[in-house]
Amino acid sequence: MGSAEDEATRVIYEFYDALDELLRSRGTSAMNEIWHHTDYATASHPFGSWARGWTEVSVNWDEAAAVFGFYKGHATRSDEIGGIHELKVVVMGDAAYGTGIYKSKLYMSDRELTLSINCTNIAQRIDGVWKIVHHHADQAPPDWQAAIGRMVEAGHS
Amino acid sequence: MLGAQRSSANVGTQLGGFRVLNADGNLSVTAWGYWPGEVSRAFAVKVPAAAQMLAPSSIFVLDSRELKPQGVEGQEALRLLFRVLAQLPFAKGTILRGNAMTGMQLSRLLRECGADGCIEFADTQSLGT
Repeated sequence: MGSAEDEATRVIYEFYDALDELLRSRGTSAMNEIWHHTDYATASHPFGSWARGWTEVSVNWDEAAAVFGFYKGHATRSDEIGGIHELKVVVMGDAAYGTGIYKSKLYMSDRELTLSINCTNIAQRIDGVWKIVHHHADQAPPDWQAAIGRMVEAGHS
Repeated sequence: MLGAQRSSANVGTQLGGFRVLNADGNLSVTAWGYWPGEVSRAFAVKVPAAAQMLAPSSIFVLDSRELKPQGVEGQEALRLLFRVLAQLPFAKGTILRGNAMTGMQLSRLLRECGADGCIEFADTQSLGT
């Protein structure tokens, strides 16, 4: 077993692995597994407002999965949709926060859609298990949000 | 002179609910927050029934600016409304959109119900929190 910093860092990287699974239409089970299902779980995404409590947080992930169910740009690609960069993790007792930059690239039918936004994640150790309890991503630029909205309205990417 | 106007009391709480306003044959629904089961079930009963009163000259507005993405029951309640709207010949339908993810959910549900051709979105505030 590694240090608390190693463990917290690992769970944050695993969160982004789960996010890639979700965005690739491989389901939400990995995302659900990476969270503590608490009433103080909170999340805010590149599009959308705060989800407070695990029920709302999980609904937001379900909806994100539904939205990206229309995305087919990575259907035949092996590269990641996105990942966390410059991750810095600070541990304070049984809590840890990580700051980083999420970068992604989507292959839309008419262009590549890139995103680079600051993110913060908080992990908590409960009964020796580190999991996510908070995720915050900056709002994506309006043109990125509009492109995703058009994908949903059209029903394809 | 104003025509007949009838507004329901708020259903739900500050955290999640809706209200319905009938005025001059038009229908305005304001929805907010995240709906617990009882609010979803009330919406599924009250709002599609109210929509049945729409006439060819009627205007329908759903104010979703404060609405959060809904879970399974809330989505099913919205589908019931959208399926009714898809069958009605009203003059104009508008969804006031705030939260971008809610807008995407509503857009998806409209398409599923075949109501995307009779409802348009109006962005009323900046996207985000």
